[in-house]
Parts: sequence; structure tokens; C-alpha cells
Amino acid sequence: MGKRIVLGAVAILLVIAAAYASFYVAPEERTMGLVQRIFYFHVGSAWAGLLAFFVCFIGNLMYVWKREPKYDWLGVAGAEVGLVFTTVVLITGPIWAHPVWGIWWTWDARLTSTFVLWLLYVSYLLLRTLIEEPERRALHSALFGIFAFIDVPLVFGAIRWWRTQHPSPVIMGGPGSGLDPTMRKVLLFSGLAMCVLMAFLIAERYVLEKMRSEVDILQREAEAQ
Amino acid sequence: MKNLNSVFAAYLIGWGAFFLFYVSIAKRTSDLRAEVDRLKSSLTRTK
Amino acid sequence: MSLLSNTAILLGKELRTEFRSRELLTTTAVFILIVLVLFSFAINPGTEEARQFAPGLLWLAILFAASLMFQSCFLREQTNDTLSSLRLAVSDPFAIFLAKLIANTLFLLMTELLMLPFFAIFYNIPLWSKLPALILVLFVGSLGISIAGTAISAISAQARMRELLLPLLLLPLLTPVLVVSSLVTGSLLDRDPIVQWKGIGFLAVFDLIFLTALWLFGEYLLEE
Repeated sequence: MGKRIVLGAVAILLVIAAAYASFYVAPEERTMGLVQRIFYFHVGSAWAGLLAFFVCFIGNLMYVWKREPKYDWLGVAGAEVGLVFTTVVLITGPIWAHPVWGIWWTWDARLTSTFVLWLLYVSYLLLRTLIEEPERRALHSALFGIFAFIDVPLVFGAIRWWRTQHPSPVIMGGPGSGLDPTMRKVLLFSGLAMCVLMAFLIAERYVLEKMRSEVDILQREAEAQ
Repeated sequence: MKNLNSVFAAYLIGWGAFFLFYVSIAKRTSDLRAEVDRLKSSLTRTK
Repeated sequence: MSLLSNTAILLGKELRTEFRSRELLTTTAVFILIVLVLFSFAINPGTEEARQFAPGLLWLAILFAASLMFQSCFLREQTNDTLSSLRLAVSDPFAIFLAKLIANTLFLLMTELLMLPFFAIFYNIPLWSKLPALILVLFVGSLGISIAGTAISAISAQARMRELLLPLLLLPLLTPVLVVSSLVTGSLLDRDPIVQWKGIGFLAVFDLIFLTALWLFGEYLLEE
């Protein structure tokens, strides 16, 4: 309990500091101006989301191997938190794109891949709601989660290599390529802050899932009587 | 200060999403805690 | 090797069951035909733009057809309760998946080949110049669809709302196949056709990765 409060406080402080850095420390981008400051938040969330899905994948693998419910809890927590972060990415992307390119949505490789990723994990969570028996739910969703995570690099590769016949918008030819050193530092810091926030949310979600399985056990006991 | 609204909206929606998610976790946790208490007391009563 | 002989026996059983009634093949073929005709109302075929859309539409039709076709793949075993006896009969449960996915690939490929002439006529696209390469693309694409589809149908067969769940789980997973195979097919059906070996290689890598995953994790899908 105490540890989680500390982690939460650190996460909030880091996120505020990251916001401060992206407004006052990072230099103003020449062509896009102010709106480019969404970049730090947007990309940071994307990193944290991907990392959360990786946590989900680890939970899935460990569940299949060890069959302990705690890994199942980790899997749900990772998937749900990752979904929140990718949702933020998918919302802030268009908000950034609109003033710059004049359109809300571009089928740009990165945004599209993130969207497919989002769909995959929505399916994962839906699958969980559709299997009644706890052990089968844990095992089958873990296996689907493994397939989904294996699919991620293939989705990114396919869309990146085959969907870019249309000239993609000029900015972000790759993060780090020609990125100002201060900007890069702010980006890394912002990514770190988002990852700490992600860790905090996963811890909270994990405890929730743990409690849910306790309730299940108690309910079964109550019914047995 | 062009596009201030966009930046403002992006940060507001982003933080709002995280906050709402946290609130939903807290809400679900407290509901479950109440459920645990209820079940425990009903179990001890029947014993 | 017992894996191969087991697979061969199971595959023979799958094929015999299907060819006795040919239910799956006819239904799926008619489904693809309907989708192709309906697409022609949604976009005007015969125009230059339709030529660009057509390969994507073909693959979309195949994907939808596959997600319907694979429904029965494990469900059939479940309703007759033959899965547990199957598992006892084979030494390696991977043989069950291997037999089913080979059968699925064959069925899918057969319906595709059956529908290809209709596709060419409806959308006014000459197929003959690069037919062997086209069949190769259809094969590696359908193999990928079948590998992932067989695995997912083992999951969806034991859940509620399984008819909806299978496409829901399968289609996002198959995005890479759709993207690459429709592009490769598109460049094969172009005015000056080229074979994109890189794309075919990518599809083969997809097949290999999912086959390995199924080999590693498939047995857990069959646990009671």
C-alpha cells in the first residue's frame, strides 16, 4: 500500500516536470511552433503504451509456463493500461496533425500501426469477458496475448514497408534523426515520466484484479454453504 | 502563440484520460472491497 | 516420423469428411462470389480506379470467407466430443493443428482458384500473364491466414459469442497479410506486372513465425 502511494506521487511529480520541460526547456520548433510541444507527450505515451503491452506479454508467457493466477492479473493490468496509453496516443495524434497538416487523420505508418495494436488489445480484453471459467480464460487469453504480441513487429513492418507509397508527412522521418539535443533529452525524460506513470497504473490495476479473484473465491465459498 | 488551443486540448485530454482511468480503478477497487466485507461477514454469520 | 504419419492420417480424415459433403467448399465459394458482386456495386468496376482497388477487395473477400470457414474447424470436434480421443490417439498434439491447417489451406486455396476466373471477368483484369506468381502469392497468403485462423478457432470455439469472436480476434492479427498480399497481388495485376519477391518473402516469414508459435504453444490450446 505505502509503496504504491510513493510510486503514484513520484509519477505525478515526474509527469508535471516533464510537462514543464516540454514547454520551457525544449526549444521552439521552427516550422510547427508551439503545437510541436504535443510531441513529447504523444511519443512518451506511445513508448509507455508499448512497454505496457510488453508487460502484458511477459505476464502471458509466465502464466502459460507457471499457471499462477498472479501472472494472469499482470496480463490484464498490462493490456488495460497499455490500451489507455495508446488511446491517448491516438487522440493526441490527430490534435497535433490537424493544425499542422490540416487533416485530422492520416494513414501514416506509425499512427496506423498503433491503431491496429489498439484493436488487437481491445480484442484481447473482449476475449476475456467471453470465457466463463477462470482457468480457461486465463490460459486462452494468455495464448492470444502471445500471438498478438508476436504480431506487433509484423504489423509495424508490413505497414512501414508497404503502405508508404504515398509520401508521408515530412516531419518525424524517424525519432532522433536530426532531433535537437535538448529536444531529445526532453523527449527521453518525458518518456521516462510516462513509463513511471504506466508502472503505477499497472500496480493499481494488478491489485484490483487480485481483489476480484478473491471475491470470486469468497463467492464460491458462500454458494457452497 | 498560434495553436495554443490544440496544445491545451491535447494535454487536457491526455491527463484527463489517465485521471479517469485511475478514478475507475479506485471506484472498482472500493466496490470490490465492500463486496469482500459483505461476503466475509455473511460467511462468519453462517458459521 | 510419428508426427508426419499422424498428420497424414488426420489430414486424410479431414479431407474425406469434407469431400463427402463438400459443404464447406461450396458455401465459402458462394460467399466469396457474393462479396465480389456486392463490392462491384459499392465501387464502379471496370474503371481505372477499380483496377487499383480490386486486389485489396479480393483479399478482403478471402479474409472474410476464411473467418467464416474456420468456424467449424474445432467446433465440429467439440459437438461430437472427438477432441479428447484425438488427443489420446496422437503422440504430438501439433499433428492435430498441422492436419487442420493443411486442410484449411487446401480448402481456402481451392475456393480461391474457383473464384479467380469470376474475379478476372467481373473486374476486367487479365490474370494469365503472371498466373504462377499469382498462385504462389495466393498460397503463401492463404497459408498465413490458415495458420493463424486454426489457432484462433481453437480459442474461439470454447468461448461465448464464438461466431463473432473468431473474426474479431483473427482479422486484426492478419493485418500484415492483408497489407502485403494485396499490394503484391496489385503489382502482379498491373499494366506492366512485376513480381515483388520481397513481399512474398515477408508473407513466408509471417507463415514461419506463426507456425513456430503454434508449434510451441498449440498443445496448451487443446488442454481440457
